[in-house]
Amino acid sequence: MIQPNKSLTFTFNGESFGAIPGQTIAAALLQAGRSTLRTTRFNDEPRSIFCGIGICWDCVVTVNGVSNQRSCLIEVSDGMVVKS
Amino acid sequence: MIAIIGAGPAGLAAAVTAAKKGEKVILIDSSTRLGGQYWRHLPSNWNQKRLPYFAEAQELFDQVLSSPLITWYSNAHVWQAEKKNKIFYLYVLKNGVEEVITAKKVILATGAYDRTLPFPGWTSPGVMTPGAAQAMLKTHGVLVGKKIVIAGTGPFLLPVATGLASAGAEIVALLEANKPWRWILNVHGLLLNPSKIREGIYYLKKLRSLGISIQYGSTVTSFEAGIAKIGEKKISCDVVAVGWGFVPELSLAGILGAKLKVEKDGTVVIDVNQNQETSIQGLFAAGESTGIGGSVLAIAEGEIAAGKGNRLTRWRAQVFAKGLQRVYPVSSRWLSSLNSEVTLCRCEEVRVSDIHSAIVELGAQDGRSAKLLTRAGMGLCQGRVCGRNVSEVVASQLSREVPDQERIASASRPLAGPISLGELGDGLGKKF
Amino acid sequence: MSANTNFDAIVIGAGIVGASSALALTNAGLRVLVLDRGAVASGTTGAGEGNILVSDKEPGPELTLALRSRDLWFELREDVGDSFELEAKGGVVVSRGDDRQLKEFAEKQRFAGVDVRVVGDEELHELEPHLTPEVHSGILYPQDAQCQPMLAAAQFLRIVRQRGGEIRTSANVTNIFSAMGKVTGIETSVGKFSTPIVVNATGTWAGDIAKLAGTFLPIAPRKGFILVTAPMPQIINHKVYDSDYVANVASGEADLQTSTVVEGTRSGTILIGASRERIGFDGSMNIDVLRRLAAQATSLFPILRDVQLLRAYRGFRPYAPDHLPVIGEDSLISGLWHSAGHEGAGIGLAPGSARLIADQIIGAEPFMDPTPFSPGRFQAGAA
Repeated sequence: MIQPNKSLTFTFNGESFGAIPGQTIAAALLQAGRSTLRTTRFNDEPRSIFCGIGICWDCVVTVNGVSNQRSCLIEVSDGMVVKS
Repeated sequence: MIAIIGAGPAGLAAAVTAAKKGEKVILIDSSTRLGGQYWRHLPSNWNQKRLPYFAEAQELFDQVLSSPLITWYSNAHVWQAEKKNKIFYLYVLKNGVEEVITAKKVILATGAYDRTLPFPGWTSPGVMTPGAAQAMLKTHGVLVGKKIVIAGTGPFLLPVATGLASAGAEIVALLEANKPWRWILNVHGLLLNPSKIREGIYYLKKLRSLGISIQYGSTVTSFEAGIAKIGEKKISCDVVAVGWGFVPELSLAGILGAKLKVEKDGTVVIDVNQNQETSIQGLFAAGESTGIGGSVLAIAEGEIAAGKGNRLTRWRAQVFAKGLQRVYPVSSRWLSSLNSEVTLCRCEEVRVSDIHSAIVELGAQDGRSAKLLTRAGMGLCQGRVCGRNVSEVVASQLSREVPDQERIASASRPLAGPISLGELGDGLGKKF
Repeated sequence: MSANTNFDAIVIGAGIVGASSALALTNAGLRVLVLDRGAVASGTTGAGEGNILVSDKEPGPELTLALRSRDLWFELREDVGDSFELEAKGGVVVSRGDDRQLKEFAEKQRFAGVDVRVVGDEELHELEPHLTPEVHSGILYPQDAQCQPMLAAAQFLRIVRQRGGEIRTSANVTNIFSAMGKVTGIETSVGKFSTPIVVNATGTWAGDIAKLAGTFLPIAPRKGFILVTAPMPQIINHKVYDSDYVANVASGEADLQTSTVVEGTRSGTILIGASRERIGFDGSMNIDVLRRLAAQATSLFPILRDVQLLRAYRGFRPYAPDHLPVIGEDSLISGLWHSAGHEGAGIGLAPGSARLIADQIIGAEPFMDPTPFSPGRFQAGAA
């Protein structure tokens, strides 16, 4: 399989990452070796993807200022600012 | 016009069947690609060689895309629905804008998601469902880890294992909780569906060629700091992909008032008649939401729901599906493997000990009270992941069975999908 | 479960009003049994926001009750423990246009003993930084408070149990017995019990219980929806509402009324209300109401536009025709006490109502004249 180039760039907590057009935020981060997406609000536990299909909402991040966005569903767009 | 919600096997089959009958179809799906969960695939420009079973999927995709009668409404989330005077109103969010789609006939083909059971360490990064590993690989070409343990039960574990291994992951263990002798209980299912025998042999051969052996009768009992425990044995891994069958997604059915029923194994499904029609006239359902059964059954049901399908094919597939419940049961043993620290509700971080306190100190006598008092099930996923598990933990602590009504209530929720307050309020001025 | 079926008092209803009544009676030395046909807080209490307000009440008996009840909430925290998210977060009422009416109303409340602080534009936006710049003045009510009502009811009942009382859930009351105009006991799906005192704390269903005893209470449901958002870091510091809230609470119209009420919770979700409809017990979803509530909330707090709606739920507030609660002894059957019809103020008024009843039962001087709440005002042949 030949993967197209990572032609898109986005930031996650200030760090820059590349993504292939069509990749979700979670997929791009996972491919770059970044597993932990956030920590929980009561007990500060690290969370990553769990169901991967938008059911469990464990993978939520803030995208361009909008909170509680499921990173396993949202496709990366160029210049996207993602935060835990 | 017919509105079909869900573009997996059932929805696609229904759409194509309806179009062949000359009916206009709007096919609403939340993804940007056709195929639902079952037929996840990479974008076509990735030059990926398609697997043999994908030909059927590709044909349905092509038919949907080429038919002038079918409108594919992609990236569209149905958050609410109602029926007024024989017409269904589907409130759909697409790109932050809300629209209403009206139809006299609606087919729900909203599919299912992996069923999960809690265990010590299951909330750690690295623990996920087989569906998550599959989705990452099939849709994005991303391997979720290098050393993967696959566990749980069900035939789905096999393609997940072969897929991940073919892509270069090391499957350090493939654990099927149920023993293979149980296939005796589905001999008639196999005889009626010989393709399933071929499929099974295909995967077993593939596993052997990849050097993966299946360990029967065991499962992961904990995961911490890269170590998965399988009973007393410890295995080093970076991913544990564990799933226990599937749970139908029923929110829209509940919202529209369709009668739900509880199967023998506790799964809640939509009650449909021979024509795949629900208790609400004009509302049909096909695929996993009427009972977990795989793509062949889903396609047959989709075609019948659209008005022209093969009931014999459906029946044969149903026999196999029902038989699978006997081959891959989920026992209640997981309840006794919990300790008080295990998280039950991931979203609200509610632990077994919190549920215990709600019962013992605060007098909760049923699942609903325990959930209200602890916030279990009140978080972002609205009980999709934990609902059944919390009910069963409460019932077990009270030495009772979970009443059917409680199971059905857990499968129902007031919103089928998320909507922001801005999007919601903006709909006020519109004439829907 | 003890074998002794004699109790000093039986409270029917394990919502916040019943739980408060049971606790007050238990603390007064009585052996109390609490019954509910469902689970604890499975009625209106389970659909409440947890409001403990003085700000929305005009001077009169209800405000007097509310002021005392509010303080009792904090006394209860001392007794029961800090286990129901009680918070003196304060309320801010804003007016969008002419604020004279609001200020006049607030003056009258101040005169009646409410802590009222008029705030100007700058201070208002310091109190609530995310409030729309289109609002320029408001009134701060530091006494307004918040709790988690289901936890409160459950915790009160835990203490009742600890101090010798009993709770039976899933227990249906089928009969209330009296002899010569005095309560003698009740019959339920879990057995018969004798008692000289029955407290009817069944809220929206209080009329049904009254009928069982052979008396009458005109309590009807007023439906309301609440929106719950996804959990957020705190962006709203007080309960914030517009002055329409007050007008709607007091009105008797049947048609849908909505006003804006927005507040955060300890768990991070934001609750948005408020709607009022008199359509009986029709519990069906009303998308239009949800839209109205959302639009109102975002007009006060534009930042909420991007916040996800998690769920919406509805409840039935119990109200009496004159919009005052019914608290007191039945005029036809002595020993039968009612504490019901608190409409949207049940949580806030529960401890005060409980104290009023308990004091009268044990023969102590009630902290206020209970006559305005008397059940007799609806009962023919009352003195």
